[in-house]
Amino acid sequence: MTVAALPISPHPAVDGGLQLEVTNVSPQTDSIVSITLADPSFRKLPSYVPGSHLVVQYGEEGVNAYSLTGSGNAPSEYAISVLRVEDGAGGSRAMHRLAVGDRVYVSRPRSAFAPASTATHHLLVAAGIGITPVLSHARAAAERGTTSSLIYVYRPGSGAHVDEARELLGSALTECSNRDSFQEVLTEQLTKQGVGTHLYVCGPNAFMDSVLDQARAAGWAEARLHSEAFGAAELDEGEPFTVNLVRSGLTLDVPAGVSLLETLEKAGKTIPNMCRKGICGECVLPVLRGTPQHRDLYLTEQEKAGNTTMMCCVSRSEDPEMELDL
Amino acid sequence: MSSVSMPQVAGNGLEPGFRGVICASFGAAGDTAEQQSDSQPKLDLHFEAATPQTLSELRSVLGSSSVGVRLFLSGPTADIRAAAAVAAECGLHQEEMTLLSEEAAPRAIYCPHCHSTTPTFQPAGSEVPCQGCGTALVTTDHFSRRMGAYLGYAARVEEAS
Ligand code: FES
Ligand SMILES: [Zn+2]
Repeated sequence: MTVAALPISPHPAVDGGLQLEVTNVSPQTDSIVSITLADPSFRKLPSYVPGSHLVVQYGEEGVNAYSLTGSGNAPSEYAISVLRVEDGAGGSRAMHRLAVGDRVYVSRPRSAFAPASTATHHLLVAAGIGITPVLSHARAAAERGTTSSLIYVYRPGSGAHVDEARELLGSALTECSNRDSFQEVLTEQLTKQGVGTHLYVCGPNAFMDSVLDQARAAGWAEARLHSEAFGAAELDEGEPFTVNLVRSGLTLDVPAGVSLLETLEKAGKTIPNMCRKGICGECVLPVLRGTPQHRDLYLTEQEKAGNTTMMCCVSRSEDPEMELDL
Repeated sequence: MSSVSMPQVAGNGLEPGFRGVICASFGAAGDTAEQQSDSQPKLDLHFEAATPQTLSELRSVLGSSSVGVRLFLSGPTADIRAAAAVAAECGLHQEEMTLLSEEAAPRAIYCPHCHSTTPTFQPAGSEVPCQGCGTALVTTDHFSRRMGAYLGYAARVEEAS
């Protein structure tokens, strides 16, 4: 039995989900592989909102989230692309070992990067493996007859889904191989979009922050901006902050590089948790004051904007101080 | 991406890709010039009322502007609501629009007869009964800094005498 074979029991994070079979494995680049999953008895799979992700279990213990690359409309299979992260927890390496016929437990698709229904045009911006959810948006837009354009930054020779993007978008695709050319294209694109345009960005955090900041500076309202974090592998250590636990009257310092969850556990608090990477939704905490820096994949955009809850395993604070209902 | 074609909007002088501030006023409303936009290019539009024609003009102005644009609407509530709905259809977000309803704040009308002031939502030229003495006052556009109110005058001389 390989690591990739179906574990004895599903991880709680994928409980109530699906048991799927690997139907195709095809390398995109040296480090990115596309994996197609289908129901073993050919049942139809649940449709999903463009930009959704799937939580996939690996081994007995691990779960990871991967963006679905299809349009989501009545899918017969689910396709994900996985970048091998050498120093990660092993999830991506296990995924790269999957072979046709292997079975995996997956969650139902989850939407946390949905297209705006009022958008008349989608401006998509992706760096590296960030192409995956954005490809889903481009496909869905094409199916629905909405226009989209894509700025795709990747290192020459290591771009996944380049051919599909070219075919799908034609002249609406701009490929960039370095920061300078990207910057030029971005500046131009941010100032010439029709008023119904929404922006969607996926890539490393620093990349997304820079794109979003430039959009804001160009007058883009917050409601037009959408972003999707990669997940735990890419998270930086963050800024230190202080947290006040109102009910227990405790004040704790959360240093850079240490999660809020770890800090609370060290202080003797028992917080339910499973994945510890912002995927499962177990570790949710009520926020009384302050603005969380949301870095999870679980909460929806609306929930994140509400700032009344946060996932303490990955999310931090935008402000030096925050108050929790604990 | 879809190209933006410049519609023929007579006399609004709008550059394609406009990203400044559009101030559209309706009816008798004064212009919205007090919206400070020194740093940004500004386009003033004035319409008598929100009619299918004027709304389609607004639509084409918005259609040729770009994300980053801000819209100020002033005038009677019904007109600016209709204009805001058109702007939303064009893809503008609530946070990009400012609605300055004439009816949002009453104007104080000064009575020369009894020196009291009467709040009203009526535009200039309409008649309101004075709260102090009951005289039918015609409202004006003349704001008296000294009185801190718009000046009214008696609609019928015999009442004021
Ligand atoms: S433990 Fe899974 S989201 Fe925090
Ligand atoms: Zn009076």
